Amino acid sequence: MLEVSGLSAGYLGENVVEGVDVKVGAGQAVAIIGSNGAGKTTLFRALCGMLPVSAGQVRFDGEDITGRPAHRIARAGLAYVPAERHLFPRMSVHENLALGAFPRRPDPSAVRLVFDLFPRLQERRRQPAGSLSGGEQQMLAVGRALVSRPRLLMLDEPTTGLAPKLATSAYEALRVLKERGVTLLVAEQQVPLALSVADRGYVLENGRIRFEGASQDLARNPEVRRAYLGVA
Amino acid sequence: MKAVVLDGIVLGLQFGLLGVGMTLVYGLGGVLNLAYGQMAVLAAMVVAVALSGGTPALVAAAAGLLAAAAAGVVIDRTLMLPVYRQRGERRVLLGLLLTLGVAFVIDGLLLWRYPDGALRLAIGGEAVPILGVRMRVGSLWATGVSLAVAALLLALRATTPGRAAHAVIQDEAGARLVGINPAAVRTFIFAASGALAGLVAVTRSMTSPVSVTAGFDFTILALIVAVVGGLGSVAGAFLAGVLLGIVSTVSAFYIGQYITTIVLLAAAALTIVVRPRGLLGR
Amino acid sequence: MTAEPDATVESDAKPLGVSARPPRSLTRAFWPIAVTGAALALAPLWLGDSRYLMRLAVDALAFGAYAIAFNVIFGSTNQLFLCVGALAGVGGYTSAILADRAKLPMAVGLVLATALATVLGGFLSWVAVRRSLDVIFTGIVTLTFSLSFANLLLGQRELTGGETGLVVSAGDGTFLQDRVAAYYLFLGMLVAFLVVFRALQRSHIGWAFRALRDNEVAAELAGVDVARYRVYAGLIGSAMLGITGAVYAHSEAFISPSTFAFGHVDVRVLVMVAFGGLGTLLGPVVGTVVFAVLDEVLVDVGQLRTVVYGLLIIALFLGFKRGAVPAVVDFLRPLARLVRARVGRPS
Repeated sequence: MLEVSGLSAGYLGENVVEGVDVKVGAGQAVAIIGSNGAGKTTLFRALCGMLPVSAGQVRFDGEDITGRPAHRIARAGLAYVPAERHLFPRMSVHENLALGAFPRRPDPSAVRLVFDLFPRLQERRRQPAGSLSGGEQQMLAVGRALVSRPRLLMLDEPTTGLAPKLATSAYEALRVLKERGVTLLVAEQQVPLALSVADRGYVLENGRIRFEGASQDLARNPEVRRAYLGVA
Repeated sequence: MKAVVLDGIVLGLQFGLLGVGMTLVYGLGGVLNLAYGQMAVLAAMVVAVALSGGTPALVAAAAGLLAAAAAGVVIDRTLMLPVYRQRGERRVLLGLLLTLGVAFVIDGLLLWRYPDGALRLAIGGEAVPILGVRMRVGSLWATGVSLAVAALLLALRATTPGRAAHAVIQDEAGARLVGINPAAVRTFIFAASGALAGLVAVTRSMTSPVSVTAGFDFTILALIVAVVGGLGSVAGAFLAGVLLGIVSTVSAFYIGQYITTIVLLAAAALTIVVRPRGLLGR
Repeated sequence: MTAEPDATVESDAKPLGVSARPPRSLTRAFWPIAVTGAALALAPLWLGDSRYLMRLAVDALAFGAYAIAFNVIFGSTNQLFLCVGALAGVGGYTSAILADRAKLPMAVGLVLATALATVLGGFLSWVAVRRSLDVIFTGIVTLTFSLSFANLLLGQRELTGGETGLVVSAGDGTFLQDRVAAYYLFLGMLVAFLVVFRALQRSHIGWAFRALRDNEVAAELAGVDVARYRVYAGLIGSAMLGITGAVYAHSEAFISPSTFAFGHVDVRVLVMVAFGGLGTLLGPVVGTVVFAVLDEVLVDVGQLRTVVYGLLIIALFLGFKRGAVPAVVDFLRPLARLVRARVGRPS
C-alpha cells in the first residue's frame, strides 16, 4: 500500500534521513523503531507532505504522492497523527472528530467506532479539546484520524506523554484497529510495545534503516536487543 | 440620549462588521491588512461609478463588493505569498509593510482618477419612529443590512468554508492534517473581508457620504475595533464594534469630533497595554 | 581580524560570545561623517540661489535628522515607533506655543519642547517595555499616539491654530530666516546626530543594543537590562526628534498638523531608512538624499506620486531587504580588501 524508496529529507539543506526504503502492505502493521533523534518524525513528516522531500519517492496505492501538499495527501486516505497532535483546542471533542472527515460530514458509524474504542471521549463529547488530559487528547487525535476512514493510519510516537498504563491501552486500541483491517505505520521509541502490535519493523538509526524484518526476528536480533531492549 | 444611543448602535453594527473583516484576516493568516480601508473605498467608488452610469442600485452594490473581493484575491495570491512564507513576528511585519504599500497604490490610483469621488446612497422616505426615536430611513436600511450580514456570518460558521476557517485559525497544521488547504481558506477569507469592507462602505454611505479619501480612516477604525475585540476573535470584533459605536456617538454628541477620535484610539492603546487579548480574544 | 571597509555598517547579529568591536582610532570611526558633512555643506553652492530649492534642502535635512532618530529607536532596539512625526510635532508645536503665546525666550522654549518630546518618547518606550509589547503592538500603540496627537492639534484650535496651522513668529529677524543659514544649522544638527549614533555604536550601549537585537533572552541572561537600554534608545531618539521639530518650527515660521502627520513624516522616514539600510550609520542620509531628489522629480505627477511610493515600499520590502548602504558595502568589500593588501596596512 505504501512504498517508500530512497527517501531523503531534512531541514535547512541538511538531510536528517537518507535513502530510506519502507514498504507497508495492505492490512499490515509496521513499526519504525528508533531512539530520539533517529529521524522518525522527520521521516513521517516527509511522507505525509509536511516536510519537503529532497530525494526519493513515496508511492501510496501505486500513486506517486512525493512532494504533494499535506492536505491533499490527507484527502487521499493517508491519515497522520503527529506526536504534537495538533487538535483544535477551542472546539469540542465532537467538533474535532467531525472535522476529521473534512470536507464531508462524518460517517456516524465511524464516529461510533471511535467512541467504542475510546469511551472516555464519548463522555467528554462536548468539552473543548484543550481541556482534555494528555491521554484523552491522544485518543482524540487518533479518533479524528479514524473518522476519515483512512486507508493508512500513521502514528508518530503515540505514547508520548502517556503514563505506562495508558500507553499499553493505547496499543490495545491499535491492536483492535489492526483486527478491523486498518493498515498501520507506527513510529515508536518503546520497542516492546511497538513490536507487540506490528507484523514487521524497521530500525532507524541516524537517519538510515539499519535493520528490517518480521517483528519476532527483530525482537530476537542481538544488536536490537542490546540497543533498544536493554538486554545484554 | 436615547436617540444618540440608537444612532450608536446603528454605527456600532457597521463598526463591528468592519472589524470582523480585519480580525479574520489576522486570525487566519497573521496579517494586519493595512490596505483594508482602501478595499472599502474601492468598492464605494465602483458603486458610485456604476450608479452614475445608470446601473440599478443592487447591481451596483454587488459590483462594488465583487471588485473589493477580487482585489482581495489578487493581493492574497500575489503579494501575500512571500509573507506567508515567513513565521510569527516577521510575517506580521512584512504583511503590514506590504499591505501599506498596496494601500498607497490603491489610494493614489483612486485619488488620481476620482479626485472628488464620493459615494452617497440617498434613500428617501419619511423618518420612522423606533422606540420613540425618529430614525432616518437610511439608518434603518444600514442596520437591516448589517444585521442580515451578521446573521449570515453566524450561519456560515457551520458551513464547510466556515468550519475550515475556524480550524485554520485554531491550528493550521491540524487543519492540514484533516485535509483543509490553508492557502485556499486564506484567499477565501481575504476576499470575503474585502467584500465585507465594501459592504460597510455601502451601508455607511446610506447615512453619510463616503469620500475617496476615507481609506485610511476605515483602516484605522477597523484596526481599533479588531484590537479592542481581541485580534482573531470574530465575536469580539462584533461586540467591540457595537460598544465603540455607542461610545463614539455619545462622545461626539456631548464632547466633540476630535476628542471622540482620540477616545477610540485610546481605547485601542489601553486594550493593548492593559488587556492585550482584548474583550473576547484568547 | 577581518579587513572590513570602514565601520559604517552595523554587522548582522553576532553571537553573544563575541566581545564589542576592539576600539579603532577616532579618525577611522568618524571620517565617513566628516566626508558626508563636507559633501552636504557644498550643496548651497549649487542651490543657494533658489529659495525654493534651499527650502527643499532644509526639509530634506530635517527628514534626515528624523531618519537618524528613527534609526536609533527602531534600528537599534527594534521598537517600532510609528510616531516620529508626532514626537517632532510635540517639539515643534510646544516650542512655537511657548515662544509665541507664553512669550518665553526662544532658547528656553526649545529646551522645554525637546524635554517634553523626550519624556513622551521615553514614556512610550517604558510602557512598551513594562508590558512586554511586541513589535506590532508597540507599532499600534505608537500609531494611536501619533493619530491622537494629530487630532489634538486639530481639536485645540485656539492653542494650535487647528487645521489652518500656526504662524511661528519667534524666529523672525533671527538668522533662522535666512535659508542658507538655516541649512547649515540643520546640517550641523544632522552631523551631530550622526556623531551621537556613531558614538553609541562604539560604546557599551551600542554593544547592549546589538545584543538585545540579536537575541533578547540571551542578552537578558548575559546581564543586559533590555528594558533600560530600550528606554535609553527611546529617550535619545525622541530628544533628537523633539529638537529637530522645534528648530524646524522656528525656521519654517509656519507649521500645521500636516507638517508632522503620520502620512507625511513616518511613512517617508520608514521608506528612507529601509532603503538606505536600517541600523547603518549613513543609511538614513543616503535615503534622505535619494528621496529628496525623487520627490522633486515626482512633484508634477500629483497623486501618482503616492502610487510610486506604494510601489517603492513593496519593492523595497520584497527585494532590497537590507538596504542600499549594506548592498554597496558588500559590493565594495572585496575592493577594499584589495586596496588594503596593496597599501600594506596592518589589519
